[in-house]
Parts: sequence; structure tokens; C-alpha cells
Amino acid sequence: MTQDAATHSGTFAAGRALGLDHLKLGTWLFLASEVMFFGGLIAAFLHYKVNSPSPQAGLLSVPLVGANTFVLLTSSFTVVQGLAAIRRGKRGGLMAYLALTILLGAAFLAGQAYEFSSLYREGVTLQSSVFGSSFFTLTGFHGMHVFTGLVWASSTLLRAARGHYSAEDHGGVEVFGLYWHFVDIVWIVLFTIIYLV
Amino acid sequence: MTAEPRPASSPRRSGYLLIYGILAALTAAEIWIATLSLAAAVRTPVFLTLSFFKASLVAAFFMHLKSDSRYYLLIFLLPVAVVVVFGLVMLIR
Amino acid sequence: MSAEPVAAPTSNWRRYFGWNTDHKVIGVQYMVTTFLFFLLGGLLAVLIRTELARPGQDLVDGTQFNRLFTNHGSLMIFLWIIPVLAGFGNYLIPLMIGAKDMAFPRLNALSYWLIPPAGILMIVSFFVGAADTGWTAYVPLSISAPDGQTLWALSIVLLGVSSILGGINFIATVVTMRAEGLTFGRLPLFVWGMLATALLMVVATPVLSAGLVLVAMDRIAGTLFFSVGVGGDPILWQNLFWFYSHPAVYIMVLPAMGIVSEILPVFARKPIFGYKAIAASSMAIAILGMLVWAHHMFASGMDPRLRIPYMITSMIIAVPTGVKIFSWLGTIWDGKLRFTTPMLFALGFISMFLIGGITGIFLASIPVDLHVTDTYFVVAHLHFVLFGGSVSAVYAGLYYWFPKITGRMYDERLGKAHFWMNFIGTNLAYLPMFLVGLLGMPRRVADYAPEFTSLNFLASIGAFILAISTVPFLYNAIVSWATGPKAEANPWRARTLEWQTTSPPPAHNFPVPPHVTGGPYDYGEQAPSTSLAPAPAAGK
Repeated sequence: MTQDAATHSGTFAAGRALGLDHLKLGTWLFLASEVMFFGGLIAAFLHYKVNSPSPQAGLLSVPLVGANTFVLLTSSFTVVQGLAAIRRGKRGGLMAYLALTILLGAAFLAGQAYEFSSLYREGVTLQSSVFGSSFFTLTGFHGMHVFTGLVWASSTLLRAARGHYSAEDHGGVEVFGLYWHFVDIVWIVLFTIIYLV
Repeated sequence: MTAEPRPASSPRRSGYLLIYGILAALTAAEIWIATLSLAAAVRTPVFLTLSFFKASLVAAFFMHLKSDSRYYLLIFLLPVAVVVVFGLVMLIR
Repeated sequence: MSAEPVAAPTSNWRRYFGWNTDHKVIGVQYMVTTFLFFLLGGLLAVLIRTELARPGQDLVDGTQFNRLFTNHGSLMIFLWIIPVLAGFGNYLIPLMIGAKDMAFPRLNALSYWLIPPAGILMIVSFFVGAADTGWTAYVPLSISAPDGQTLWALSIVLLGVSSILGGINFIATVVTMRAEGLTFGRLPLFVWGMLATALLMVVATPVLSAGLVLVAMDRIAGTLFFSVGVGGDPILWQNLFWFYSHPAVYIMVLPAMGIVSEILPVFARKPIFGYKAIAASSMAIAILGMLVWAHHMFASGMDPRLRIPYMITSMIIAVPTGVKIFSWLGTIWDGKLRFTTPMLFALGFISMFLIGGITGIFLASIPVDLHVTDTYFVVAHLHFVLFGGSVSAVYAGLYYWFPKITGRMYDERLGKAHFWMNFIGTNLAYLPMFLVGLLGMPRRVADYAPEFTSLNFLASIGAFILAISTVPFLYNAIVSWATGPKAEANPWRARTLEWQTTSPPPAHNFPVPPHVTGGPYDYGEQAPSTSLAPAPAAGK
């Protein structure tokens, strides 16, 4: 991904001595900030769930969204398989798994869209109650992150097609993977606190 | 960008499949438990525990936190801890 | 992004107006851009103090006055002090650790380039009905505020992203790019301060973003987050806002303290006293600082059981802060002091931050706070720490590193004149505010009872002196940069790495990656060495 430091192998020596890769470190720091961002939205959702409960919350459907959860979990599996493939130098494998990931991610978004529209038909909107406000805002931002992930996956797939990655050099795939798994983990939390608990 | 050599302790492909299987089973369990009418005092800790395991599996094995440097784990856990504290305080008010 | 041609960095001024990934260019871009917002925020302050020089509404009406203090605070906090200190971090961190640039140079440029659009949004907001709800934008008032409030929120979101990306870059750079031999135990204290600051930037800022999202949703999409009566909760905004904004005050002061720690040893020709204590206290302040936010909410009707824990944690922060103050005093004690302009500003920081900090402890005490909250006592406190404190340190840093950044020396007499006008103006402007606050004058008011007149008049005189004090600084900075005497590599005979390369530094900072064999503050202990040999065999 970054070409700037490619010619200076000593540049990141201090990091390597600590067992750290600067790109991965930066990615984890970014994910830390995302934890805090979702944490703020989640805290708001829970605050209202506990202090201003709404009957509209009863309209949520666990089976449908449970199936969607499977879909997203499977997409995490395909991502890690793709990474394993390129680690062994298998460019075709990486591309296939990325394509699968994109399909599964799109399916997840379609499932969310269906969930949103059926709730909407039952009168749950951004403006119908604080539940509606906090539900759609929280899941909406998660959906935006999934969408961003799909764009990123597509870009990664394109780069893979152009031979950008190899067994020795696939940091970009790893970074994308970390982002995608994180979005999956956020969904695991959201599924629990919104639909299950 | 140079990739890290694959650490000896990271799972192979069959390892990932196993983790995925566990995740799927846990999710199925959650959906099943949701259909039972359990009291909130039971549901809440059960679901929190199950989802904690799921999240940990994804983080440890799919994100390789278990096999990579401890520092990445610290960077991830610190904000999680902060969020939990903040969330708990928000519940009180 | 390919490397820029290797020209002497400050000779080609056009570099500063475009996309450039050199951290030294970006650092200067930050400093100059934010200084413009400092002047704009200062102009608003002059208008405020003109209005408040006498009772009655002479200059502006109540609504316009609300807009003035709202945007004065917002500009100063989000477009001046937070980003200017990030600018110092940008310029200095790679140099101080012996690296050739930041870990993510393009991300670094992006962090800077989010600032001009954010600033433009803030300025445009003045023309569509400026936000008038205080920089704290409490709901539900800010939900029904004019359109400018939405632009205000968007501006701050952009600045938040800039800050988060900057924080990521700082941490990654310091952790992975230190020169050989530069252990964490030899890290300059400014870098320790920036590390602690970066932690807060990454962890605290996104919570404000989340809160601003909720405010924007209520304003634009008609959500009910803060609609009282249908389950909305205005206190939630206060929690989300202060969860960031309290650590933010440490973002505004930790780098400044780092600057002071760099300057004192140089001009006392003595090692810093308590290096480990100062480094540890920076991290302690950062971590503790994330646990005290509700002390801004003592009077908001919060759950009484939570008050005492917050009071205790807020007072505990005084301990690491006190450690720093005593360490600085220990540093200058019995030193061979040179009262250059940077040293004067650094000493000014200590005295004025002390006043601000101690009054902060008064405010941490709930019984006191309940009487003085939202009075001018708080206004005095915050200006002593932020203006007497942080801005003094910024000036100290600007003078201290002026020769390094520009390759030229500033005029010392103008610098001293600036310092004395600044010191006198600050004390005259803000000391009366403590008194008038204790006497009962509320903050954020355009008019006041006649018995507060003489103290307000004094404060306004002080403010005008401060306004005028920027003139010698600006003249000095501009003229010296253009035509000042050329500066050597190490005019202060300092030991940190940025002084071991040319003034200004070349494109990749060091001709050969440095190899460090000693600490950065070993003044007077051994024969000073200004060359850091690349091979491990070199001695000190």
C-alpha cells in the first residue's frame, strides 16, 4: 500500500524490534477509535433502552436478523480464507474469497434493507420514538461501515487481479481483513444488545 | 510494505473452519435461546457471555490477536474497557 | 505520492500552499493556519471585552453577544490550540526521534487539509445564523438554534477526524520509527507529552463525534434523541460532550507542558529534574483525565451517588500535575539561567498555569463548584490554564524553534517586549475575573450589575493590551523570517536531535540516520557532543 517507506528498510526497525508492523499498528489504532465511536452510539442506545423503553422494540424480528448474522459471520470466514490463500501465494484463491465476501456483504445489506423497510411499514421510523431514532442511527452507521467495507473489498479485489499482492507482500489484504472482522464484531455486539438482551 | 512471516502458532485453514463452526453453533444457540421465554435476569448474562465468546473468537483467530504482538491486544482492549465503563455510567443516569 | 524535489524547505514558499507530505511543511501549514484562527478568535474576544468594559449593551445585543462567545470559544479550542499543538507535534516528532518523516506521510497531509474546509464551514456559519449556544452547545437549545449550528457541528466533526488521524500517526511514528539507541527512556519529554496527547486524541475524540451525530440527526432528520417529553435526554449530550471535552483540555495542555520541559533544561544548562516522573505523570494525567468528565456536570442534576467519586478523581489529577511543577522548579533551581524569550514564556507558563491549576482544584470541590459554576470564576480559571498556560507555551515554542524552522533568528528585544505585554495583559485581563466571579457575576452575559464595573473595566484593559501584544510578535515573525540573520544548526546549544541537523533541516531530516548514545538533557554532566555518529562505536 504505502510506497513511501519501501526504500528505507531501517526506517521501521524500532517497530520491528518490538514485533510491530507500522501499518498494522496504525490499523489497530484506527480500530480503537472506531470502538470509541460505536461505543458512544451504543451507550446512547442502551441509555434509552433502559431509561426510555419503547413498545416499538417488540417489533424486532430475531430469526430474520439471526440469519443475517450468519451471513456476516460467514463473510468473516471467507475473508480470513482469502488471507490464508495469498499467504500461500494463491492469487486466484484470494480473488475468489474476496468475491464471495462481497456477495455475502451485499446480502447482509440487502437483509438489513429488508429489515428496515418492514419496520418502517410497521411505523418504526427515525422520528417515531427514541427507540426508532437510536435503532436506525446505530444500525445505520453499522450498515455504512459495511458498505465502506464492500467498496474497500472491491478495490482490494481489483488490486489482486492486477497482481498487486504476493505471499511476501500482502499487507493491504491484512489491513482490509482487520477492518472487516471489526465490522463483524460490532455486529455481534449490536445483535446482542438490540435483538437478544 | 513487507508482510510479517506467518507465525507458527496461527491457525491453518482447517483451524479457521473449526472457529467458524463454533461461531455458527453459538449463533444458532443464541437464536434458539431467544425463542425461550427466560427472565431478563437470566437472558442478559447468557447472551452477554455467548456474544463475548463469539467476539473473542473473531478477534483472537480471524484477526490473529492470539498469535500477534500483545501490544495490538492492548490497543484493542483499552478502548473496550473505557467504553464498558462509560456505558455502565450511562445506564445509571 | 512521489517525493518532493530536494529544495531548501523554506526558500520555496509556494510549497506551503499545496499538498505536501513533508512533515516539516505540514507542521508549518498547521502553525500558520491555526494562528490566523487565533487572531480571528482574538478579534471576537476584543469585541466581547469592549461590550463588557461597561454595563449596558453598547456594542451588540444579547443574541449577537451569544454568538460572539460561542464562536470565540469554538475557534480558540478547535481551530487554534488543539491543532497548533498538533502542528508542533508534526514538525518536531520525526526530528526528535531521528526519523525522516511520520509513519504515514499522506495521512499526515490529509490531517492538515481537513482544517481549512473546517475553518471555512465555521466562518460560513456566521452568515447563515451563527451558533449561539456556547462552545458547549447544550441541548435542547442547540437543536433549535439557527442553521449555523449545523455547520458548526460539521466543522467540528471534520476537525475531530483530523485529530484522530493525527493521533494515530503520532503513536505509530514514535513506536516504530525511533532512531537506533533512542529507547523510550531517552525520549524527549515533548514526545512523551505528545504520546499521552495522542492517546486521548484517538480514544476520546470519537465519542464527541458520536454525540455530534446525534445532534445533527435531531436537527436534520427529526430524531428524538434530545426531545424532552418523548423520552429524549439532554443529559446524554452533556455526558457525550464532556467525555471528550475534559480529556480535550489535557490535549490542550500536555504538549504545552512538553514544550516547557524542553526549554527549561536548555536555558538553565542543567539536566531536567525528574525525567521519569515527568514522563509518567504525562501518561497518568491522560489516563486519569478520561475518568473525570462529570465534574463539569455537578450542577446538572446528576445522580448524587456519582458526585463524590468524580470529585475525588478530579482532585487526584492534581498530584501528577504537581509532580511536573516541582520537577520544573527543581530543574531551574541553582541553574545557570539565560532569560531568553522562550525561557521567559516558559517561566510565565509555570506561574500562570499554577494559578489556573490550583483554581481548578477549587472547582473540583463540589461545595465550591455549586457556588461558582457558570460564573466568571470559571472563565478566569480556564483562561489562566489555556491562555496563561498553553498559549504561553506555544509562544515559547514558536520562539525556541523559530531558528530551526526558518533558518533565521528572531529579534530578541521585540520578543521580550511581546513577553512583558503578554504577561501583564494576561494577569490584568483574568485576575479580576476571579474576583468578579466570586462576587456573583455569571458568565455568558452581555450585561451585568453596576457594582462589577471597575473589575470588568480592568479586565477589558488587559484584553486590549493582549490584542496589541500580538503586533510585536507578528512583526518579529514575518520580518525575521524574511530578512533575519541566518541561524546556525544549534544556536541554543541544545542536545535533542532536531538541533543536530541543519537549520532548517534537509528533506529527510538527517543526512545519515542518527545513532543515539545518551539522553537528551545531559547538560553539564559530560563534554557536550553535537555530532551523532552513525556507527555504534562513537562515544558521547
